[in-house]
Amino acid sequence: MTLLSQDPTASSAKPRGLDAERAASRRKRNRAATLASIGFIAPLVLYLVIFYAFPLVQNVVMSLQRYDRSSFVYGGAPFVGLDIYREVIASSKFWPTVAQTATFTLVSITVQYCVGLALAVFFKSNFRLSSTLRALFLVPWLLPLIVSGTTWQWMMSADNGVLNSFLGFFGVDPVWWLSADNALWAVLIANIWLGIPFNLVILYSGLQNIPESLYEAAALDGAGPWRKFLNITLPSLRPVTVITLLLGLVYTLKVVDVIWIMTMGTGNSQTLATWSYGMAFGKGTSAVVRYSEASAVGSILLVVALAFGLLYIATQRKEKD
Amino acid sequence: MSHLNKRRAVQISALVTSVAFVLAACTSNTDEAPAASGAASQGTTTATIKFWDPYTPYQAGSDWDNQLKSCAPEGSTIERFSAPQTDLLNQLTSAVKEGNAPDIIALDNPLMPEAASSGLLATAAQAGIDVSGFDANLQAPGVVDGEAYGVPMGSNALGLYYNEDVLTAAGVDVSTIGDWASLNAAIEKVVASGSKGITFSGIAGEEGVFQFEPWFWGAGASLADISSADAVSAGQLLSDWVANGWAPKSAMANNQSASWDLFLTGEYGFAEDGSWRAGSAAANEGFQVGMIPIPAKDSGVAPVPTGGEFLAAPLQSTDASDHYANASAVISCLMSGDNAGVTSESVGYLSARPDVRAVQVASNPIWTPWVPIIEGAQGRTTDLGVDYVGVSAQLSEAMQGALNADGNADQVKAAFENASGL
Repeated sequence: MTLLSQDPTASSAKPRGLDAERAASRRKRNRAATLASIGFIAPLVLYLVIFYAFPLVQNVVMSLQRYDRSSFVYGGAPFVGLDIYREVIASSKFWPTVAQTATFTLVSITVQYCVGLALAVFFKSNFRLSSTLRALFLVPWLLPLIVSGTTWQWMMSADNGVLNSFLGFFGVDPVWWLSADNALWAVLIANIWLGIPFNLVILYSGLQNIPESLYEAAALDGAGPWRKFLNITLPSLRPVTVITLLLGLVYTLKVVDVIWIMTMGTGNSQTLATWSYGMAFGKGTSAVVRYSEASAVGSILLVVALAFGLLYIATQRKEKD
Repeated sequence: MSHLNKRRAVQISALVTSVAFVLAACTSNTDEAPAASGAASQGTTTATIKFWDPYTPYQAGSDWDNQLKSCAPEGSTIERFSAPQTDLLNQLTSAVKEGNAPDIIALDNPLMPEAASSGLLATAAQAGIDVSGFDANLQAPGVVDGEAYGVPMGSNALGLYYNEDVLTAAGVDVSTIGDWASLNAAIEKVVASGSKGITFSGIAGEEGVFQFEPWFWGAGASLADISSADAVSAGQLLSDWVANGWAPKSAMANNQSASWDLFLTGEYGFAEDGSWRAGSAAANEGFQVGMIPIPAKDSGVAPVPTGGEFLAAPLQSTDASDHYANASAVISCLMSGDNAGVTSESVGYLSARPDVRAVQVASNPIWTPWVPIIEGAQGRTTDLGVDYVGVSAQLSEAMQGALNADGNADQVKAAFENASGL
């Protein structure tokens, strides 16, 4: 009662003054905290701007201007908007190259994953010398790429290659591995061989995290090995699978080195990445340097990779919900 | 993510992107272009002189390296950098853009019009280079819009080397080879006797086109129209060789070095290679090597492309006169008087100066069969100038298609008609 009869202005003036003081000091603290946080992230932002954002934007800007060697050195390339993109997409090579890139990427990651998973399950049953054998399986990953690529090219030589001799034992005719029609399969085989260790390592560690009790419970329910694999292993591996496939996909989309070493991107081993590389530096069959077209193809490749990245984020969000 | 964090994230990424855009816009309109000022006569030589060349096999201690180092002016040393032919022009482009181009560069002759018209080279007048006394057809690639940009170091040409032992065993008489029909008959005989036929380089890019041009021109085709019937017949010739097993399937990936290695195994009867091999071919142990000019389709000798590099001075942005003085000193040392002959010999070329060439030929008998081939060689950029590079890319694509066609005539024809170069 006494509270209600007190003078409202008098009672609110003091809290308001105190509030104002508290608000001012809170604002000061907030500003100091904000400045501190900016100071902490500034180096990272600077790094991102210089090494990620700037080259990215430069690449896109380059694809919107028509460059030749002279304007590359002296500047002054005319702005042509989306003309370069239209020319590249209308080129007779574009859609075959996209199809080849898709085939290369999807077949690579699928086979790499399946073989990696099979090997990981195989190694889970720790037998004697399994760790040694597992270490040996890492060799493709550890070899310098120039060594692996050159060795595969040598093995696949159509005239006197080891691979054709091996096939000859089974009565198969020698295959011209590196010809224009077979080049894609040749580089696919080499790339799959290169990618298996990565999948093996990640999936093997993913398998270690599945609690043994789940398998015991399933065994008690009478589940066979195949049921156990389908209903326990695969679902438990879901997060690891998604990240492995995404990493594999984004990496394989960009692969230039192994294709270049083996075939220089000739024939149907041409992917968007090798095409962009050849045009940017005047190598391979694209002996002419085409700065703008290379930037355009590079940007298209970027958009594809970005699309899959966003897909991954979407699946992660769905899982969280 | 909470609403506030999302907004902050969007703000930060917008900030980052706009900063990047500003940076990109600023640098794309740079006006730091190398100036067309400065002259050799106004500068003095510096302590370090940078020289770029494509002679990667010639390491320190080789004839070329010694010859170059001996031409360093008083008080200067020459730093030599080698890169493959295909990379050299691109590296020069970046270097001129950055303003730290070398003092002198030895650039492949078909790239000279492109380099000069893109503003990468100083004129010969600016750089104090003497352009007199060279054969007109060999100097031509270095003359753009009436202005001379460098001097030819020497010239080389392609010929058909053969393994004497293999040919004798197969009963082939090289004097009977005068056209494609007789060449094919000779290869067939060699293969029938158990050896392999012919090796050449069909790699994608200028090197493969260089090796293809004698067959291309020998069929009567012209670079102005690479889809003509004559052009297709040249492609068909190579395609049939691969299809019959007379040439290795790896030819489409071999460069000239790899092709020569195959020939050195002693299993091949013929090898298409250049005059720079003449010395090592004459000294070859294991089997005797001979050489005949590449036959044209119907009769006579096929025109071969002029090989060889030009010595030129890249455009400089700082201390231009001093850099041009360096270029002037080194180039005049390498290319003057008797030293010109020594320079050419050190890289296995014949001099581009007719008087020096005469002395070279007189003193070294291995050059005698090469003189008519080199003097009849055709410039690649004579008709097309700057456009040669684009046509070469198309021809490379057509040739690769032909080699992959495995003899299929329709595929060969399609390869030549559809070569777009993009």
